[in-house]
Amino acid sequence: MRDSLFLVKYGEIALKKRNRGAFVKALKDSIRGKLPDLSISVYETWHRVYVRFSPADREAVSSCLSRTFGVVSFCEALRVPTDIPAVEEAARELAREYLAAGRGTKFKAEVRRAEKRYPLTSYQIACRLGDALLAAFPELTVDVHRPDWILSVEIREHAYLYGPESAGPGGLPTGSSGRGILLLSGGIDSPVAGWMMAKRGLALDAVYFHSAPFTSEKAREKVETLARMLSAWLPGLLLHVVPSTPVLARIKERSKEEETTLLMRACMMRLASLIAAQRGALCLVTGESLGQVASQTIESMAFTETGAGVPVLRPLVGMNKEEIISIARRIGTFDVSNLPYEDCCVLFSPAHPLIHPSLDKMKRAYAGLKADEPIAEALERTEEVRIGARAPGL
Amino acid sequence: MIYLDWAASAPPDAHAIDEAREVSARLYANPSSPHAAGREAGARLARARADIAALLGAEPDEIVFTSGGTESNATVLLSLLARLRLGGSRGLKIVTTAIEHSSVFEQARALEAFGFRCAFVRPDSNGIVAPSAVAEALDEDTALVSVMLVNNETGAIQRVAEIAEVVRERCTRAGRRILLHTDAVQAFAKIPFSPGSLGVDAASLSGHKIGAPRGIGALYVRKETTMEPLALGGGQEKGRRPGTENLPGICALARAADDGLAALPREMEEARKKAERLIEGLLAIPGARLFPEGRADQPDERFSPWIVSVGFPPLPGEVVVRLAESRGFLVSTGSACSSRKKDRTRVLEATGLSPETALCAVRVSTGPATTREEIDGLIDALAREVPPVRAMSRGRAR
Repeated sequence: MRDSLFLVKYGEIALKKRNRGAFVKALKDSIRGKLPDLSISVYETWHRVYVRFSPADREAVSSCLSRTFGVVSFCEALRVPTDIPAVEEAARELAREYLAAGRGTKFKAEVRRAEKRYPLTSYQIACRLGDALLAAFPELTVDVHRPDWILSVEIREHAYLYGPESAGPGGLPTGSSGRGILLLSGGIDSPVAGWMMAKRGLALDAVYFHSAPFTSEKAREKVETLARMLSAWLPGLLLHVVPSTPVLARIKERSKEEETTLLMRACMMRLASLIAAQRGALCLVTGESLGQVASQTIESMAFTETGAGVPVLRPLVGMNKEEIISIARRIGTFDVSNLPYEDCCVLFSPAHPLIHPSLDKMKRAYAGLKADEPIAEALERTEEVRIGARAPGL
Repeated sequence: MIYLDWAASAPPDAHAIDEAREVSARLYANPSSPHAAGREAGARLARARADIAALLGAEPDEIVFTSGGTESNATVLLSLLARLRLGGSRGLKIVTTAIEHSSVFEQARALEAFGFRCAFVRPDSNGIVAPSAVAEALDEDTALVSVMLVNNETGAIQRVAEIAEVVRERCTRAGRRILLHTDAVQAFAKIPFSPGSLGVDAASLSGHKIGAPRGIGALYVRKETTMEPLALGGGQEKGRRPGTENLPGICALARAADDGLAALPREMEEARKKAERLIEGLLAIPGARLFPEGRADQPDERFSPWIVSVGFPPLPGEVVVRLAESRGFLVSTGSACSSRKKDRTRVLEATGLSPETALCAVRVSTGPATTREEIDGLIDALAREVPPVRAMSRGRAR
């Protein structure tokens, strides 16, 4: 059986001029990295990326492309020699397929001729193909205004013919914007935040703070499931499971009750920054949304990010809960996030947390923790869990 | 790992497992088949039925084999659906308690959608339902009274015999019948009782709580009691529970029950001593509370010695369970059967605890094989693990 081909369109990357090469390489690496077990070949010619695959893998490849950032759209294409009889034969093959699939009988042909030395103009080629199809399939009619399907033809070093396109998620290919550390809890927001930054080309590691015995193994499994769901959009990710109980104990011992949540969050930022340094990551990503809870007011954020040594990206900061939920549903994490294995951190949440903390006071409280030692202990005992495929170079 | 979660499911009884294996391998014929192999299986079935009946002081025909406690309970409750054929609202009242296992409680609530009215009688602060409170809930429409014998979360033994008396008296006066059922899953082979002496019409039993495999249970149905089956089929169990009999399970159940009941008189005394030791040791840990608090720390005949419920507020029970596990002891939160959060604290809340306190409950349930050393080990483990973790929790005294 001959190999099949997906043609991939990558919109935004094309605008990157001199950096285009690096972006396209990131896109190709990203596709390969997500399908390490398939024998596919990913290559670029004439500003298009092609994925050649064996027909048995069609579903897997198509599902991968629909979740690969940088892909604007993709479609299965036939690649044939550029001589007109071969192109006509391929057109008939596709038309037969679309008719059999009940896609409708009104069509039009769109031809682009990148190879300008070709003897016929685009318009002439389109006419030839229209005639060929009408002759072969009497039920077909041409409708250039409202066609049921469009037969697209690109004349390059070969002729490529394709029909309806499937949408990709757009954005920038993973890794083209560097690496970030996602603070992943079991909630609704953080997976969405990670997804949004990955959409802008950030490769991700995730950090999960596990405070046994207050949090259950099920809570940890839930986070691993969420990481696995996110990893469908990424060429795999590394999950750092940080045992944070020693830090909690120190906070409980040396701080006022109303400050505990803020101090814990500052310590989490600190821990995540240390992991960022180890991993060569350039930023942290959180699911914070302005004003959602006491620790997410602007005063609280101003303090908690003092623990971070790198920029803290908060892609949800201006979003409402319903907006966040609609993305969570789209990427499939919502139902898992909603599972009831909540941790027992409510044990530590103060009855009346600070809402507008004073930055100076909180900084002094943080210094008073002398948290370096429990933070180092937590870091020492951090476990790394590889989620999903391991991409080359990522 | 030391297993202290017997009330959820008991470790296998070696004899029962051998029995199940032997019967599975050899007596595979259908007990209803007319040939020699079928007749042999049928004979074995009859023997197991007679054995269990004898252990319960009942007649063989009064034993219906089911898949377990949940099905036994459902069989009784769902038999009421036949009353809908009569039309009207007569005979559509169920009197049960607020502390039943979910397989009675939820089933009763589901029947409300069909027009049944339910009264969920509340217990006192010791988790014990007063017979007078049941009597108050009875009315002329009452068709069924269902009260469990031993509560699976607190171990409280319900006054089923006295409740039966109250119900019987009411029936005699009104000249009608009220079906009286007890869920005896946590009582069977664990405390001495017989359905006859309790005076109930039906009693649910389960195999895996006493060392038989899962998937086998029984329903005692007093003779002359009519209960319409919901499922129809091949007429097995005298039509009361159709389906080819689970002979390996049935034989294992008979064997485990025999083992358990034979040892019960001497085990009971030992179990009471072990419970006393457990309660005393746990209460010596700072912050410990016994649920219900009215349970005495010396042998208290009102409670099953196999179930002890404690808590270390404000530590959630699940945290204590994880602490125990980290030291090699397997205990459970309130009930293994209610994974849904909403229902997790229903029973203890009915005794008057706040939801927050009820969520702190940890159930230690033991069996005949539990040793004093194991109990001391658990006490020691919790004494070491709980106080530092509890000190980290909100609500500690500053």
